[in-house]
Amino acid sequence: MEKIKITLNINDKPCEVMVFPNDTLLEVLRDELDLTGSKESCSEGVCGSCTIQMDGKPVRSCLTLAMEAQGSRIRTVEGLASKDELSDLQQSFIDHGAVQCGFCTPGMLMTADALLNEIPNPDEETIKKTLAGNICRCTGYAKIIEAVAHAGNPREHCPDCKTDRNTRE
Amino acid sequence: MRLPRFDYLRPETLDQALDLLATHRDDAKILAGGTDLLVRMKKGLLNPKILISLKSLNELSYIKEDAGCIRIGARTPLADLIASDLIHSKARALAQACEKVGAITIQHYRGTIGGNILQDNRCHHYNQSDFHRSGRQACHKDGGKICYARDEADRCNSTCQSDGATALMALGADITLAEKGGERTVDLAGFYTTDGIMPFAMESHELLKEITIPVQGAQSAYQRLAYRSAIDYPIVCAGVLIKPSKENEIADARIVVGAMGRSPLFFAQASSSLKGKKLTDTNAFKKAADTSMDSAAAFAVHNVGATLEYRCAMVSQMVFRALEQAAGDAKG
Repeated sequence: MEKIKITLNINDKPCEVMVFPNDTLLEVLRDELDLTGSKESCSEGVCGSCTIQMDGKPVRSCLTLAMEAQGSRIRTVEGLASKDELSDLQQSFIDHGAVQCGFCTPGMLMTADALLNEIPNPDEETIKKTLAGNICRCTGYAKIIEAVAHAGNPREHCPDCKTDRNTRE
Repeated sequence: MRLPRFDYLRPETLDQALDLLATHRDDAKILAGGTDLLVRMKKGLLNPKILISLKSLNELSYIKEDAGCIRIGARTPLADLIASDLIHSKARALAQACEKVGAITIQHYRGTIGGNILQDNRCHHYNQSDFHRSGRQACHKDGGKICYARDEADRCNSTCQSDGATALMALGADITLAEKGGERTVDLAGFYTTDGIMPFAMESHELLKEITIPVQGAQSAYQRLAYRSAIDYPIVCAGVLIKPSKENEIADARIVVGAMGRSPLFFAQASSSLKGKKLTDTNAFKKAADTSMDSAAAFAVHNVGATLEYRCAMVSQMVFRALEQAAGDAKG
């Protein structure tokens, strides 16, 4: 078994990497490309902390072979922020205290970001249903849901919110 | 967790894929979405030398209606089925079942309907890490002669926990298996062996190509019970189909219970007891549900997490709820 050269499109940059057929996308991202934002936790598709986006859809990178990711647009948590500024969603997570230990956060962000791209103003039920595949061991779901709702529509879902962004608007 | 080593092949056409399967047979496994296969490989339950990826075979991803049938390509992602109006209106049980599989991140073009049907049977004594299994003798499914789920059982009692298969069997679906130089279509209900080790009556060089659901003016419903609302397997599930007559009576019914036996279980007696009953006759539903529960109890073993008594009791609930829902839809 030999390493094979493949090109992956990660955060809008083409990356050439040498991979084994049995390398998962997660292993390539973390070990070869030093994109350690995506986390390995259960490694069997249960927890969601390795979630990344492929062609705009959230998928488990621990259950995706690197070979299978060729030709797809891959977005990791590192690709959310622009050069100097966090995305609205990331800022909202910080403002609402939606991060505790932080291990599930990259996965939560990628799933929530994909949801917001599809439905810009999701209601609470939709957020809950979408995030059902991401597990947080610190059990801070309430704040995570608030943070996503806020990023979608601060005025409607977060009327009492005193965070930076609301006053700025 | 690392995957064991394997060679990766990605055929460009169905014929190429069937060629490769015919050459490699038992050495090869088909990789569609990988959400079941890769987990098994990580746990050391499977160790194929070759994975044949269906990634390039877009010809196996479609949902269409033709000649009174809904035809679904085996590699169609679950997310496509959930989003399909055709499936929602004419095979509702399947849409309800697919919505319950894993989570959105599993359904989105990773998990496929073919993979859902062909996911191997599970047992909480078998689906464990290498380390866990290394501390004791191997069970039947692991190549040994012991069953941890039922004392002195002479064969494997693993359970089929596929949501999709249960719904499809209720819908009376057929499946088409392709091999090099030919294909065959079989009734899904006749596709299962009674062997927990190899639950499917298919050869290693065959490939699941298409699922066909007859459209018969009937209403279907699917109900499942699981500990969590997402990323969990059902501990009991039920798919039902009710075909109404013009007089608002039940002309035909099918009751299928999943996650209780080595395959989804079709209960002919409970199903036929509903024939000729009114669509509003909840007593008849209750009776059919209880009959299903009695029949299912003969198959189940304690290997899915919840206690056996609870699961059996819940069979009746799941069947009843599904019947009520389907009958409600049939009344319009």
